Amino acid sequence: MTRHLPRRSRLLLPLLVLALGAAAFAAVGSATAGAKSCGTVTLNEQAWAGSTANTYVTKYVLEHNLGCKVNITQIAEVPVYQAMADGKTDAVLEDWGHVDQQKQYVTKQKTVVMIGPNGVTGLIGWYIPDYLMKQYPQFKTWKGLKGKETIFKSPESGSQGMFLGGDPSYQQKDRTLIKALGLNLKFVSVGAEAAQVARWTQLYKQHKPVLFYWYDPQYLNATYKLDMVQLPKRFKGCRDDEKQGGDPKLYACAYPTYTLEKLFSKKFATSGSPAVKFLKKWSWTNADQSLVASYIAGDHMSPDKAAEKWVKANPKVVKKWLT
Amino acid sequence: MSVAAERVATIPRPAANQWWRHRLVLVGAVIGALVIVYQAWSNGYQWPSALEWKSLSTGLDNFQTWLSDQQSSAHPNVVFSVLNGISTGLDDLVSWLATLFHDLTWAGTTALGVLVTLRFGGVRAGLWVMGAFLSFAAMGLWEDCVQTFALMFAAVILSLVVGMPLGVLAGRSDRFQRAITPVLDAMQIVPAFAYLMPIVILFSVGPGAAVITTMIYSVPPAVRITALGIRGVPANTVEAAAAMGATRLQMLAKVQLPLARKMLLLSVNQTILFALSMVVIAGLINTGQGLGSLVTNGLNTNPALALLAGAAIVIMAISIDRATEAMAERTDPARMHVTEAIRGRLRVATAATGAAIGLAVGIGYALDAGSAYTNVGGSPDWLQARLQSALDYVENPSTFVFSITSWIGNHLVEYGLQPLQNFFVETPAPVMLAGLTLIALLLSGLRPAVMTFAMLAVIGVVGEWGSAMDTASQVIVALVLTMIVAFPLGVWVAESARVATIVRPILDVLQTLPQLVYLIPFIYLMPVSIVPGIIAAVLYASPVVIRLVAAGIREVTPNTVEAAQAFGATRTQVLLKVKIPLARDAIMLGVNQGIIMVLAVVVIGGLVGSGGLGYEVAYGLQQGQFGPGVVASLAILALGIALDRVTRGNRRPRLEGNR
Repeated sequence: MTRHLPRRSRLLLPLLVLALGAAAFAAVGSATAGAKSCGTVTLNEQAWAGSTANTYVTKYVLEHNLGCKVNITQIAEVPVYQAMADGKTDAVLEDWGHVDQQKQYVTKQKTVVMIGPNGVTGLIGWYIPDYLMKQYPQFKTWKGLKGKETIFKSPESGSQGMFLGGDPSYQQKDRTLIKALGLNLKFVSVGAEAAQVARWTQLYKQHKPVLFYWYDPQYLNATYKLDMVQLPKRFKGCRDDEKQGGDPKLYACAYPTYTLEKLFSKKFATSGSPAVKFLKKWSWTNADQSLVASYIAGDHMSPDKAAEKWVKANPKVVKKWLT
Repeated sequence: MSVAAERVATIPRPAANQWWRHRLVLVGAVIGALVIVYQAWSNGYQWPSALEWKSLSTGLDNFQTWLSDQQSSAHPNVVFSVLNGISTGLDDLVSWLATLFHDLTWAGTTALGVLVTLRFGGVRAGLWVMGAFLSFAAMGLWEDCVQTFALMFAAVILSLVVGMPLGVLAGRSDRFQRAITPVLDAMQIVPAFAYLMPIVILFSVGPGAAVITTMIYSVPPAVRITALGIRGVPANTVEAAAAMGATRLQMLAKVQLPLARKMLLLSVNQTILFALSMVVIAGLINTGQGLGSLVTNGLNTNPALALLAGAAIVIMAISIDRATEAMAERTDPARMHVTEAIRGRLRVATAATGAAIGLAVGIGYALDAGSAYTNVGGSPDWLQARLQSALDYVENPSTFVFSITSWIGNHLVEYGLQPLQNFFVETPAPVMLAGLTLIALLLSGLRPAVMTFAMLAVIGVVGEWGSAMDTASQVIVALVLTMIVAFPLGVWVAESARVATIVRPILDVLQTLPQLVYLIPFIYLMPVSIVPGIIAAVLYASPVVIRLVAAGIREVTPNTVEAAQAFGATRTQVLLKVKIPLARDAIMLGVNQGIIMVLAVVVIGGLVGSGGLGYEVAYGLQQGQFGPGVVASLAILALGIALDRVTRGNRRPRLEGNR
């Protein structure tokens, strides 16, 4: 993006149009000036809109304030550890705590480094629509679900109630949790997040019962009124990472409150690039993230434009990141 | 009258027809017996856990951890070094190709594609390619198309480098042909989704892994068609050359390869198309950008963009197909007599083409296009917004469309999928195993039956019996729907030339559309988790079945039809009593191909909620649960082979490519 060749005479332009019919292209010159020795930074964008918001806001600042070139990879939460170890991506800006992977790559191999929180607090849990909670106040805790499971019946759950599982790439333990709590629910995964959203929003719009895996911060939480079903309290040694295996009873506790972490690959962390300093400092709030995410996923704005809009509206925050 | 027609029909193969009916009755009896057992002992006897190999999964996990640890160790193991070398080498190749296109600038790349096609393939093909480039730019997907093209180019070149020599060998040696055919069969039967886990373990994620996934699928056509070409060289020509004292090498270089030219070019064409059809699946384990990643990630964040990327893949496939076909035709030396004068003119044309490309690159730099691949401002957003609003409309539960689609979806699950799934999963495992083996024996013979038994046993041993039967039940439902749609359409296409011309382009598009793209609209239209996968599978498999049925009916010899007509049979009678019975081999082939294609989509459906083995792989892939993922992959592989053997019929194993 840093080539600066003189524009030739405009006579060439019609020739080009005739020869190639390439009028559809619009040549936008590369605009980055004053490139320091930042080089290329590869950020990993994950499947949820919040992660897209993190990635593109930092991308905007990296490109416009630090003169870096930013590449973006899109690797799921868990395999990305291996990709960082391989040096295929430099940084993950929002990790939802994968104990097993961290043991392997951070503690043992030391190929991935934990940098600290990104300022956002994450919640995972079982959610139901607010209208349903009003109808059945007992659903405040999981115990209220017992015996009432068939309210959540769906075509694919047979005689049981349906638990609508989250995106298979997300942090989850619901299959084990259902087993441990002895609930008569069938775990139904509709796969990717878009499919899950399509499913529960359709039921929501029809005011039908639905029980599903969901999380916060999430831009849709502003549009739909949802309530959390309380799961058993956390106890010492209770587990969240299904990869650890063991007795299902060990998993019978609510999801923790996640302090979302930034991860760098070892190579990137020790590279001395100005990007490292900035990304270490970078952090923002749930509200900020949800706002940008709603620009992207709610208003269908392009992520680059959404990032630009937010950065221009929040010069003070950006300045703090850069000092 | 019908009696007469029947007699005519039975004259060519009276015994076979009887035998066929006999077998169908027996198969019906086996299914009936299974249903009775299911009613009596459902859920009574599952796969015994003593016969499960439980340590397989943990063993695989440990292997992956070990391999990953080598990364940071001071003296990496040689296995790791080799695997790592391969994957980094391929990564570099792909990124080198992408950089090459960048350095040519968009102007140069367009000129290169269009002008080279124009020079060797003629005006029509040139226009196709230009239209493709323009549409990529207009959709705002230029950069992704370049990335995809680089990936595909690397995969195609490597597939040809591997496949063509193997094809030549197979063409010249019967023994080698026999040895390699089952391997090629397996490579094409097994759904690509099953390769992903093992490849990720061995080669990690990235462009290199994507290239390898693609190659597994695109090498077989290269080998098959090359071998077919070499075998197609007339024997007397070969003998004449041998009589002249040609060595084996001379024979190959001067006689066999030149005479097989047309087939060799066809194999290039097919290899490209097969590679392109893998782009989306490969996107699941790729790290970079590209159309494949847009489709797979679009499933999560931007379905409209995913649909656009799917359209771009179709456009790319059709234009490359037209371009390579035209080039093969027009450069055929047999087509025209090349005089000195014409040759001179052609040289000038080639030089002009080269110069024009050079000029275009120059202009690209002059315009400061450099490496900036740009999009038309605004237009893609507008296009995406349109697509998104269409999706929003079908998703809205208060619309009329939704009331129809959700009704269909719910009934399909309640009366089709659920009962069948219960039947497959809850029938005692040993009885089911015996029943399926018996059906294979009746339909296909002893050897396929043994193979079916072995494969089903593997599924049980790796501990995936339940999931595999779940998947199998979905495959059966999708296959039945496919036959209901495709059989009458195939007959109609064969009987009416007008229908054939209307249907053909639709089938072309359906066949080139990547499997995953089918899923997207149905996630919104039929939000019951299993249904999108089934519908997508029906759409994906139907074109091939329609084609096979139509071809089978058309191939019934005209004399037989004329004879029946001479006896006074009406058109319907000819169709029902003569043509369809005589086309049963082609129809059986349709069932066989259909079941393999349906399986491929149903397992991909795991990404959007089809459950079964597909979900196990998707979950394993995305959660880094390598062991369980690979085990599920193994079960898909075994299920694919078993389903193929059950429905193969008594035709001989394919010696040459029949796709």
